[in-house]
Amino acid sequence: MKKIFNVLLGVVTSIGGFVEAGSISTAAQGGAEFGFALLWAIALATIILAMLAEMAGRVATVGRRSMAAAVRERFGFHYQMIPLGAELMIDLLLLAAEIGGVAVAIKLLTGIGFQWWILPVGLAVWLVIWFGNFTVIEDGVGLLGMVTIAFVVAAWRLQPPLNSVATGFLPSLPNHDLTRYAFLTVSIVGATVSPYLLNFYSSGAIEEKWTEPDLWINRVTCYLGMGFGSIVSMGVLITAAVVLGPLHVQVNSYEQAALMFVPVFGRWAVLLFACALGVGCFGAAIEITLNAGYVLAQSFGWPWGVDKPRRDTARFCAAFTLVLLLALMVGILGFDPLQMTLISVALTVVVMPLMVLPFLVLMNDEQYVKTHTSGAFGNGFLAVLTILGALMALVVIPLEVFGG
Amino acid sequence: MDVAHDLLDKHIVDRNGHELGRVDGIVLDVRPGEPPKLTDLLIGASALGCRVNPTIGRWVHALEHALGLGHLRPIRIDCTRIEEIDDKIKIDLSAGDTTADVVEQRIRTWLLKLPGSR
Repeated sequence: MKKIFNVLLGVVTSIGGFVEAGSISTAAQGGAEFGFALLWAIALATIILAMLAEMAGRVATVGRRSMAAAVRERFGFHYQMIPLGAELMIDLLLLAAEIGGVAVAIKLLTGIGFQWWILPVGLAVWLVIWFGNFTVIEDGVGLLGMVTIAFVVAAWRLQPPLNSVATGFLPSLPNHDLTRYAFLTVSIVGATVSPYLLNFYSSGAIEEKWTEPDLWINRVTCYLGMGFGSIVSMGVLITAAVVLGPLHVQVNSYEQAALMFVPVFGRWAVLLFACALGVGCFGAAIEITLNAGYVLAQSFGWPWGVDKPRRDTARFCAAFTLVLLLALMVGILGFDPLQMTLISVALTVVVMPLMVLPFLVLMNDEQYVKTHTSGAFGNGFLAVLTILGALMALVVIPLEVFGG
Repeated sequence: MDVAHDLLDKHIVDRNGHELGRVDGIVLDVRPGEPPKLTDLLIGASALGCRVNPTIGRWVHALEHALGLGHLRPIRIDCTRIEEIDDKIKIDLSAGDTTADVVEQRIRTWLLKLPGSR
């Protein structure tokens, strides 16, 4: 009974923790500019994320190694340093963007410039990690994140034409701005399949001490949790499509994105949008900060874990604190949070093939997954994803220049 | 034994299961006419840097010197102390017998000054 409760909690927290700066901004831009046409990209990206996370969870549960540790051990440091460097770079930019997202949300509520909020938000992130344990962090963030359901409620209340919504799930070419469309497609994938999610998830499986009999929990959390979570992302896209689309608004700032709530929530619109954005980004900021500590500690073999006493994991604590401080410096320098999000999303796509390729080897290595190796379907998926990832990596920089 | 595959990058734990780090480098004794003999395992950023590029290794070592760690790192573990090689490499030493925890201890003394450290 307790286990079922924990699984349900896991699914709920996955929903609450699904959207953050990257997914909100890319889905809002996609909806405002191309109506429902990019819903398929969110669905595809979610399937990719759920399958990769399930595999990362399997390696962690069976092989007792997080992705960072498994990649270093199986491929050696020469290979690992490239995805590791890229992941830290992405974590840094995305963390600055998420903290910026929270700061913008507070600005929407208070009217005081967002740069004043960057340091207090950073301090709050650090305090939650410093004083919290894994369950408090994971469940607290996820449960607070239920406020993001507002996006789904908004989409529902707007009563979008269902046949048009359904058509959006079929990949199609737009009748205008093909480059921009391709750019947003790739951005949605990059924002959804973020490397920090995979390593954070596999580290979580180790923090929560999952063992082989828990593999079903891993599957349920990934497929149900992330599947339902993507509905929140789709809610953002649909709401933006219905409200902002006809106004021909290009979402260049979160302030513009907030307008999408006005027809549904009236005078509560800004408050609700700010809460959804703020909580979504705050949760992601905590996860990214922790993840930076995880990848560094796991790569270099230091003791790690947010459930362990801080005195026993000093380097791990120093590592996440340092990355958080660097991200705050980036934030204070005054880069636009939305622009930073889009750059980190593009960078994610560039390293996607390097991130996916290790899965293909690890999921067939009995040292890591024992008898739970991938079948023909899993391997076929990874092979296709590697090729697709390589194609997206090739086009993302030109797309960023011409379509971004 | 395939040294690169079986040793490099693996986790090293002491006799109490305490994590010391990963095998960042190895020391081989090479004599003409004899097969190379493994003598030590190395842990530390400078050893890792050397593997990527000797210049990077020198820079990292210079940085360690500047931080007063030069004589303590990289940490050398005599390969006769290897007890078991499995998922991890278990050695017949305790962390205190090596200099593996020096950085951890230094950071710990700072962390303990923060409120709420446990």
